[in-house]
Amino acid sequence: MSGNIAVKMSGIVKKFPGVVANDGVEFEAKVGEVHALLGENGAGKSTLSNVLTGLYRPDEGSIELHGEHVTFSSPRDALNAGIGMVHQHFRLVPSFTVAENIVLGEDDGGVFLNTADVVARVEELSLRYGLAVDPRARVWQLSVGEQQRVEILKVLYRGAKVLILDEPTAVLTPQEADVLFTTLRAMVAEGRTIIFISHKLDEVMAVSDRVTVLRGGKTVGTIDTAGSSTRELARLMVGRDVVFDRVQRKNPAKPEQHVLVTVGLCANDDRDNKALNDVSLSVGAGEIVGVAGVSGNGQRELAEVLGGMRATSAGSFHVGGVEVTAGRVRRSIAAGIAHVPEDRLHTGLAASHSVEDNLVLKSYRNNPISIRSILNRKAIRSNAETMVQRYDVKTPDTETPVRLLSGGNVQKVLLAREFSAGPKVLVAASPTRGLDVGAIETVRERLVAAADDGVGILLISEDLEELMSLSDRILVMYEGRIVGNLSTQEATRESLGLLMGGATVGGHTA
Amino acid sequence: MKSPLRLERRLTQPRALGWQVPLVSIGGALLLGAVVLLLTGKNPIDVYWRIIQSGFASKTALRGTLVAATPLAFTGMCAAATFRIGIINIGGEGQFFVGAIGAAFVGIAMDGAPTSVILLSMILMGALMGSAYAALVGVLKAKFNTNEIITSLMLNYIAGILLDYLIFGSKSYLRDPRSMGFPTGKPLPKGSWWPTYNIGSAVIPFGFLLAIVIGASILFMYKRTRFGFEASVIADSPAAARYSGMRTRAKIISVMAISGALAGIGGATDVGNFRHVMDAKGLQLAGYGYTGIVVAALARFNPFSAVFVAIIIGGLTNAGYALQGPDFQSGLVGTLQGLILFTAVAGEVLMRYRIRVRNNEKNVAVAS
Amino acid sequence: MKKFWKLAATAATASLLVAACGSSSDSASDTTVASSDTTASGDGFTLANFTPLEGGTVVDCAPKSGPIKAAWIYVGPINDGGWTQAHHEGLKAVEAALGDKVETTYKENIPEGPQVGTTIDQLVADGNTIIFGTSFGFQDAFAAAADKYPNVCFEFETGYIIKNNMSQAYGAGEDGDYLAGMAAGAATKNGKIGFVAPFAIPEVIRGVNAFALGAKSMNPKATVKVVWTNTWFDPAIERKAADSLISAGVDTIASAQDSPATGEAAKVKGIPWVGYDSDQSANFPDIWLTANTYHWGDYETARVQAALDGKWISGDYYGGLNDGFIKLATFGKIVSEDTKAKIETKKAELSAKSGSQFTGPIKAQDGTVKIEAGKTASHADLMGMDYLVDNVIGELPKG
Repeated sequence: MSGNIAVKMSGIVKKFPGVVANDGVEFEAKVGEVHALLGENGAGKSTLSNVLTGLYRPDEGSIELHGEHVTFSSPRDALNAGIGMVHQHFRLVPSFTVAENIVLGEDDGGVFLNTADVVARVEELSLRYGLAVDPRARVWQLSVGEQQRVEILKVLYRGAKVLILDEPTAVLTPQEADVLFTTLRAMVAEGRTIIFISHKLDEVMAVSDRVTVLRGGKTVGTIDTAGSSTRELARLMVGRDVVFDRVQRKNPAKPEQHVLVTVGLCANDDRDNKALNDVSLSVGAGEIVGVAGVSGNGQRELAEVLGGMRATSAGSFHVGGVEVTAGRVRRSIAAGIAHVPEDRLHTGLAASHSVEDNLVLKSYRNNPISIRSILNRKAIRSNAETMVQRYDVKTPDTETPVRLLSGGNVQKVLLAREFSAGPKVLVAASPTRGLDVGAIETVRERLVAAADDGVGILLISEDLEELMSLSDRILVMYEGRIVGNLSTQEATRESLGLLMGGATVGGHTA
Repeated sequence: MKSPLRLERRLTQPRALGWQVPLVSIGGALLLGAVVLLLTGKNPIDVYWRIIQSGFASKTALRGTLVAATPLAFTGMCAAATFRIGIINIGGEGQFFVGAIGAAFVGIAMDGAPTSVILLSMILMGALMGSAYAALVGVLKAKFNTNEIITSLMLNYIAGILLDYLIFGSKSYLRDPRSMGFPTGKPLPKGSWWPTYNIGSAVIPFGFLLAIVIGASILFMYKRTRFGFEASVIADSPAAARYSGMRTRAKIISVMAISGALAGIGGATDVGNFRHVMDAKGLQLAGYGYTGIVVAALARFNPFSAVFVAIIIGGLTNAGYALQGPDFQSGLVGTLQGLILFTAVAGEVLMRYRIRVRNNEKNVAVAS
Repeated sequence: MKKFWKLAATAATASLLVAACGSSSDSASDTTVASSDTTASGDGFTLANFTPLEGGTVVDCAPKSGPIKAAWIYVGPINDGGWTQAHHEGLKAVEAALGDKVETTYKENIPEGPQVGTTIDQLVADGNTIIFGTSFGFQDAFAAAADKYPNVCFEFETGYIIKNNMSQAYGAGEDGDYLAGMAAGAATKNGKIGFVAPFAIPEVIRGVNAFALGAKSMNPKATVKVVWTNTWFDPAIERKAADSLISAGVDTIASAQDSPATGEAAKVKGIPWVGYDSDQSANFPDIWLTANTYHWGDYETARVQAALDGKWISGDYYGGLNDGFIKLATFGKIVSEDTKAKIETKKAELSAKSGSQFTGPIKAQDGTVKIEAGKTASHADLMGMDYLVDNVIGELPKG
């Protein structure tokens, strides 16, 4: 009996048609540690966690929980055995209270809720782990960070000893992330085990005790975080050295030669609340202007307005000095604005459509892709073949639906299409989010190359490292306004983080 | 208690399933049907042979099958057409009715004009009425985001009431003033009757040929035109469609209009080719619009395949009438038809999911 | 296993019969010539209330050998508790009367429309030589088939097209309706009677009027509020119509629909009900009054017998109380002895003189006198009745 081993997974094999997602994975997490599971997209992290939480049954291999063999046929089995998962996308009912959400789906809850009892227990748990949230509040009233706490409380409430967190910081500000890390430490101090899935090297270094790195469905190794470095982790993850330093530009930006100018843009969000408030900015030829901000502060709406998908209530925007009619996608496309939306698979692309169809999603109206409203399949095919080759898209063929491609290749298809139109401006929203290290590198190279060619790039991202390494200048958005305009020299994690959280830093305007 | 089996979503659909599943479905239907037949003391082989005979094999059967299939081909195409843009049009029934009304009006009013002119006008009028009626649903959907299933269903009832009103509730233009006792529609003059062709030993109604031609055109439209491309992207992801500058609302309305036109032409066919009268009661009893949805589903929403699925359903329906009688209750016929449809739908599910055997171990820790 | 062989044998016999029929149709022209010698002199078929077609000739639809094959086509299910069921009782009566001289079959739930023609084709191909059609909507298809198959006898119940090989049958439902109306008139306390009626057509209008007159004869203040459903058979719609009448305050209700849905509605409120064309006294003992019922058995038996004897001739049958075509269903236990006696007296009167309840003065809703005092409506008046009498509340479709 290895008393301090909480979870031991040996020789896990899980195959899907045409893919071996887990190919003999070895994984072991101790009681009372934060154990990071690191790997590129497609390395097998999600599959492994789905096996552990009972969503998938492994084709081979075994799972031991505190020294005993277990098999799960559903997530409920796993939860009953003390394994809980906090998903990246929350599964909460907005109109219910925190307490109601927490007991939702309980088997033995009976018909009636003993609310007072639940509230008391939730309060006790949140106090113990510093998960500040009011059990009586309704979920829709909560911030994203608070909702995440509810998800964690939900798992704790059911008595989970092993918690799996799937990229938990993706939705948090740096400050909120720090609070989360404190909570995690408190939980492991009580003898729980945290499995922390991430591909962000910095936070893995910051929070975990040990790291298991997966690559291509296999375990590369498990190492102690102390004594390792981001560089070593990156190498393990990718299999070669990766350099993420400040990029060297071939052609310098010409910030004074404006390609995109917005003047006092105002727009509402889907619920008709003000999302953009008097946004004025400019992007020069070959300039990469970063936009930092916590998700939900108007960045998405800004991108949508520029892409023509969202109407404005005031203000205007201009490309190359010519005003673009707002709220008309085709006008924006014609003006030379390329748009890489945040939700690349369902907005930027039609997921069930083939690679070749997606590559003409915006040009299908033009000769020779279609002639007198009849599609020219030959032209579509040859366009796709060129693009796939030029952008190194890894796909079995051009008829494969894009949803079957890996995240990096999905983004390559999108970029190939957007760049092939010869844009003057590129609006990119979180273009590397969720991608693996190799793909991130490719995407960044493409952006920089485009800037070198004179395209003005508005780069919206929550990844501060990325903004700092790529941008010529960084704007910060908070509650629909631009609250900071920092040169790369001025921008630090701390200064950006403060502005993103709504603190004012003297003297900066857009 | 957990079922020992569970469904797991397929990530991809192997191509071979395309023919394996329908084959297994049909086999399953015949097998299940055989069990039911044996339980009720019938010889399955004999019954199946009679179905083939009376549905498809004999000359009169084939004619009857095509007559039954033609309206279903149109309503099937109608349902298939909107599904391609991700909208469910339950309104084929009502659109069929108004198409019949329009065509009957034209057929009677144009008495004396050359048959070809009347025929074309009836088709156009049927299409126009059906498409206007369906566009109403499209406009409500596009502008106010109302649920098209509900609005199109409601409009079916309204169209039914309109039929009743025209024949039973008023002395309208379409009501036969000479109808003795029971009010009926004014019969179409012979010159407005659509032709029926004798090709070899087969008797083929003009409406059926029309269905084939239209089915092929609609398929071409969806597969090879800008319009079809836009529709398919809207169905796949409305966000992506908006993002790439497609006019989703206008497209929704147009697709509804096209879909309604198909059902409307079906209504015109019913009047021009078969009944030669706007038969308020017969139309409502037939339920072509609803059966069309089944046809479309079995045709996997391919408008061209819908024509051929309609033949199968038409044949089954016909065989059903031939089969039933004192020794074969119509309920049993319905059961058999239901089984066939049920297994076909089950086959659809198998295309998308696989069945896994859940092993029976207890929930948690079982030492091994 | 036994059943299997029985089935196989039946199938084999059936195929032989089809072949036999095929050969008989080859000699069709001979038969026509032969039969044209026989005139409608009445040396063959006679029946009370039956008027032979003027200039009609005997149609030989007798089998060459073996039993005659007779078929019925129904629009509804055989157990609809109404019209179709009544016709199916007719089929059973024919079977019972003629035994192994007849082989019957039927098709139920046949939708009006192109399907009817196909069904007739199949039945003829199966060797049926006398075919009964029981829904008005089948009439055009029957007329077309009568032209197509001159040696098949077509019996239509009910419509108006009469051909040499297509006859019509119906009966004086208005006589039964009047008697049923008397039961309702005696039952109502507030004088408000509801009526769920199918279509505003002469046949039904006549029935509603007769019913209203019957009610008035028992209770001078009785009114009949009518709702048109525009369907013969649709339990859901019938139920809605009945509910609307009940909520409008009627305390007695009648229906002329093929389903007992009105009875279901009445049962909930416990109010007396007059049914239609089916004896539902056992199912609704507490609210049942009576019903006008049609009995096709005797007529159909006589017609099939005539076909069997090679004496079938087309014509128009209008049965009545006198020959048992029209009967009142069993009285419910809530009908008083006094009422029963009054109804029996009137029944004898109507039996002797069908249609005599439409003796003037009879006023329409707007007060105009439709039948003057002392005069009785003619058969043609009855067939074309297009007004509602003055104690009916309801509207007829306007032009």
